[in-house]
Amino acid sequence: MPTVVVMDVSLSMTRPVSVEGSEEYQRKHLAVHGLTMLFEHMATNYKLEFTALVVFSSLWELMVPFTRDYNTLQVVLVTDGCLGIGRGSLRHSLATCNQRNESSRFPLPFPFPSKLYIMCMANLEELQSSDSLDCLERLVDLNNGEGQIFTIDGPLCLKNVQSMFGKLIDLAYTPFHAVLKCGHLTSDVQVFPRPEPFIIDEEIDPIPKAINTDLEIVGFIDIADISSPPVLSRHLVLPIALNKEGDEMGPGITDDTEDENSANQIAGKIPNFCVLLHGSLKVEGMVAIVQLGPEWHGMLYSQADSKKKSNLMMSLFEPGPEPLPWLGKMAQLGPISDAKENPYGEDDNKSPFPLQPKNKRSYAQNVTVWIKPSGLQTDVQKILRNARKLPEKTQTFYKELNRLRKAALAFGFLDLLKGVADMLERECTLLPDTAHPDAAFQLTHAAQQLKAASNGTSEYAAYDHNITPLQTDFSSSSTERI
Amino acid sequence: MKIFSESHKTVFVVDHCPYMAESCRQHVEFDMLVKNRTQGIIPLAPISKSLWTCSVESSMEYCRIMYDIFPFKKLVNFIVSDSGAHILNSWTQEDQNLQELMAALAAVGPPNPRADPECCSILHGLVAAVETLCKITEYQHEARTMLMENAERVGNRGRIICITNAKSDSHVRMLEDCVQETIHEHNKLAANSDHLMQIQKCELVLIHTYPVGEDSLVSDRFKKELSPVLTSEVHSVRAGRHLATKLNVLVQQHFDLASTTITNIPMKEEQHANTSANYDVELLHHKDAHVDFIKSGDNHIGGNSREGTFKETVTLKWCTPRTNSVELHYCTGAYRISPVDVNSRPSSCLTNFLLNGRSVLLEQPRKSGSKVISHMLSSHGGEIFLHVLSSSRSILEDPPSISEGCGGRVTDYRITDFGEFMRENRLTPFLDPRYKIDGSLEIPLERAKDQLEKHTRYWPMIISQTTIFNMQAVVPLASVIVKEALTDEDVLNCQKTIYNLVDMERKNDPLPISTVGTRGKGPKRDEQYRIMWNELETLVRAHINNSDKHQRVLECLLACRSKPPEEEERKKRGRKREDKEDKSEKSGKDYELEKPWQESERLKGLLDREKEELAEAEVIKDSPDSPEPPNKKPLVTMDEIPPVEKTKGPMSLLSLWSNRINTANSRKHQEFTGRLNSVNNKAELYQHLKEENGMETTENGKASRQ
Repeated sequence: MPTVVVMDVSLSMTRPVSVEGSEEYQRKHLAVHGLTMLFEHMATNYKLEFTALVVFSSLWELMVPFTRDYNTLQVVLVTDGCLGIGRGSLRHSLATCNQRNESSRFPLPFPFPSKLYIMCMANLEELQSSDSLDCLERLVDLNNGEGQIFTIDGPLCLKNVQSMFGKLIDLAYTPFHAVLKCGHLTSDVQVFPRPEPFIIDEEIDPIPKAINTDLEIVGFIDIADISSPPVLSRHLVLPIALNKEGDEMGPGITDDTEDENSANQIAGKIPNFCVLLHGSLKVEGMVAIVQLGPEWHGMLYSQADSKKKSNLMMSLFEPGPEPLPWLGKMAQLGPISDAKENPYGEDDNKSPFPLQPKNKRSYAQNVTVWIKPSGLQTDVQKILRNARKLPEKTQTFYKELNRLRKAALAFGFLDLLKGVADMLERECTLLPDTAHPDAAFQLTHAAQQLKAASNGTSEYAAYDHNITPLQTDFSSSSTERI
Repeated sequence: MKIFSESHKTVFVVDHCPYMAESCRQHVEFDMLVKNRTQGIIPLAPISKSLWTCSVESSMEYCRIMYDIFPFKKLVNFIVSDSGAHILNSWTQEDQNLQELMAALAAVGPPNPRADPECCSILHGLVAAVETLCKITEYQHEARTMLMENAERVGNRGRIICITNAKSDSHVRMLEDCVQETIHEHNKLAANSDHLMQIQKCELVLIHTYPVGEDSLVSDRFKKELSPVLTSEVHSVRAGRHLATKLNVLVQQHFDLASTTITNIPMKEEQHANTSANYDVELLHHKDAHVDFIKSGDNHIGGNSREGTFKETVTLKWCTPRTNSVELHYCTGAYRISPVDVNSRPSSCLTNFLLNGRSVLLEQPRKSGSKVISHMLSSHGGEIFLHVLSSSRSILEDPPSISEGCGGRVTDYRITDFGEFMRENRLTPFLDPRYKIDGSLEIPLERAKDQLEKHTRYWPMIISQTTIFNMQAVVPLASVIVKEALTDEDVLNCQKTIYNLVDMERKNDPLPISTVGTRGKGPKRDEQYRIMWNELETLVRAHINNSDKHQRVLECLLACRSKPPEEEERKKRGRKREDKEDKSEKSGKDYELEKPWQESERLKGLLDREKEELAEAEVIKDSPDSPEPPNKKPLVTMDEIPPVEKTKGPMSLLSLWSNRINTANSRKHQEFTGRLNSVNNKAELYQHLKEENGMETTENGKASRQ
């Protein structure tokens, strides 16, 4: 998540801190020291993170803007906990936050998912002596409880500020390292941004799920088959070289020292599974299905941002046994070699996906809906059109007739059956002299059957009973002639 | 929406009493005469639906939309009430479809207007509805079984939608009281039962419907809490289209649906096939598909409401798909849709287009003229989904390219081979359960992992690390040896492959050995073959534990590649040297034929070392000033086995045994380089000194500066 650092530069931040036997520090200096540490950490271990810096006292000023727009944010607020007094102070704003109107509503909670970390340049006792801590806690509460307050343990000095920022770094800015595995082929990777634990929105067990540090590939699927699945989040998978100390020599590090440069060059020359995988996924147009945890999967694929730059990306599916209906249950996916014959065909011209659901959806099964008169009229017209082309259209005529009959019976709309029967009888009288004699027979037969059904006569009104064409000599002999 | 919210269980209670046979007094013209045939014919009189027909078709429409959008876990129980309650289906998933309900309704038929109104009542149905809400669904059962002792945490909530013709407000109150009382009673019963669940929350939706043109005797009332368990709301609705509209609104409220209107759909005119006009189609789906609009506050909700309902719809513009290319979009959600007007021509044109496999991108109409694609319609297996595409900018913009990172400078990855590997390791669904030999359930996904393990036991990543995978001749063996079990035919093919290689060696055919990283002109032909055989052995050995047949392939390989003792090899060398002279031109490679024997030995050592790199056991520095850092990895089973010296004749038991022991030992430790490269167990020390003093110095220097 991108970070906004919000720093308190009000007068109270210039209060001196007594440090024995050294030059005088202000709280501001401590804050700068802590932030420097945070930024240095990001520069080496979390370098793709984007940050902005805002300073405030009674007014605010954006010192370093973001270069991009984001959906989510982490906010690091640095303050000494002196909240001011009177109108415009936090205390006052909180007290009146319910009286605000829509146009000037209280800024929290932010309209996007966010975390609010408050770094206090003061220790706990100092904050508790006033109601500052309560006010700050209110802020985190207002942000849906997302965030945390950090205070300095012990006296205010550089060391303790460092340890406070160290805690923030551990909480929010530790890089996520994992091992990507495909059987015996492996690669150490950093996953960026780090995947946050996911809480399934079910009432039964709302335990946050975190992804494994072993990312195990279980198989491959064509892009056309996976077909733009919905995902929770996307992450870059960056191969890293871990040296003995366990520090990473991260992707694209641009440290000045020549040693590290040459170390990077060496890392660049050692074959890495990620690069092989990325290349083949890109060429073949496939994705790798990766297991992230129990009943949790994701996919790896090549993502090109511009024509030249592409990278290995991982998307997380929603946890659960069946994240994508068109793939079915993940546990039921197995190797094609276990199938009797290759489901992709010998010439790679078919696919076992997507899975067909047991029941068709209404739009795929020609349902009957007569809520609007036009729906009913269309269905009646279809029957009439076919009636006029008897006996050629005998099959479609009866198909449409039976469809209408079934729906009318289900809806208890027997008047319609009578009406259509009358209509067919009228059609019979309107037949031109040139009409095939079979037409009259079929129309009369159909009308009789509908009438019988409309009277609720058990046999004829059965839902599963279908009106079948009348077997006439004309039709059988005519087919013989043909 | 939580699984076991009120929407998990919906009970429809539809009044089947005699007065429901009454006409809704809204006429339908069904005899639409075509112009040129109308002369002298009076169209048939319009007909009208009964209150019953209106109620049934509206509730079926409610179910249609619900089943389209939530085919699972949202269940309907349909009850018809007259002199008793008729329960038309159960909570089981098999009963949850329109066909079942339609067939059951047809069996019930329309209400009998001549039945005795005194013994008919909606109350029978309401009591049955409460009863049925206490019954456990298969999903609840599954959740309870999973939670075991915490089974009580599984919720039991439900909704009763009752369509009736009430007499007055007090009649409505009487119905509510009845439901309230029945819940109380049945919760007592359920408390003592394992098969029933107590109702925690019940939402009663009473719909009073009456013929168009009459005055309503019942007043509307918003949702009101009658007890902690029961809430109730009353809707007084005219029959006919009004009732259908009301239920359409309700299904959207009950299932958190939202509406999207696809606009500008080009469609051929029915009458004039060569012209096309633009149509709009309204779709319903879960409201989360609009979450981005709500978040950004940027909702361009059009006032395109039909029939004056409060309904709001988001308008998105159709973008005619240009190509059929498959692309992986960044999609943050996919929601099933249901067309509002399923049978209308525009709707069915759109759905058929999608069902045929095309996807349509949808664009947000913006005043500024900038084009933002926010959604995509696509069908998967006969189901249409509205995909939400991420239109906000990503923090992953402008990431470093993979070529800038680790392994990014290596240029000879086996991309094509790994592509082939991926295709062989594609997944396919196995819907029928399979069982292992021990009777336990076999999980297909575990089988897939297993196969990946087998297929990667020996898999060099770059071309210059391998010889055998660059040889067409090895393919028949390499493709089958990774299998779990071999057929006799497979073994035969492997053996053929090995004989073929022996033949190649005899004919002295060139091998595609990489010269990358080696100094000089590359290894000699017989050294190449030694490398090739060693690599092949590594591959086969990685799989010998799969089956006896795999073992047989190894035996064949070992027997065939057996080398004559050192003296004979030397003789052969001399002989071959002459052969090579003949072939050198043909093969296009010139060898330094007159190199001293020692030089050849040195090369052999060098190559062996390379081979180790290839086995990924350890990266050995070629020379002290080489920049390659050792990258130590744990020894894996397929590590290289020192070639076993073979005698020509049949093997003695001792040699078989010692081979076995050696094989086993060699898996446990990394063989000393010196011993590996030794000739007759004598290793030459400080070889590099000799090299540096000798002719190789300059080349060495060059190489180290690379």
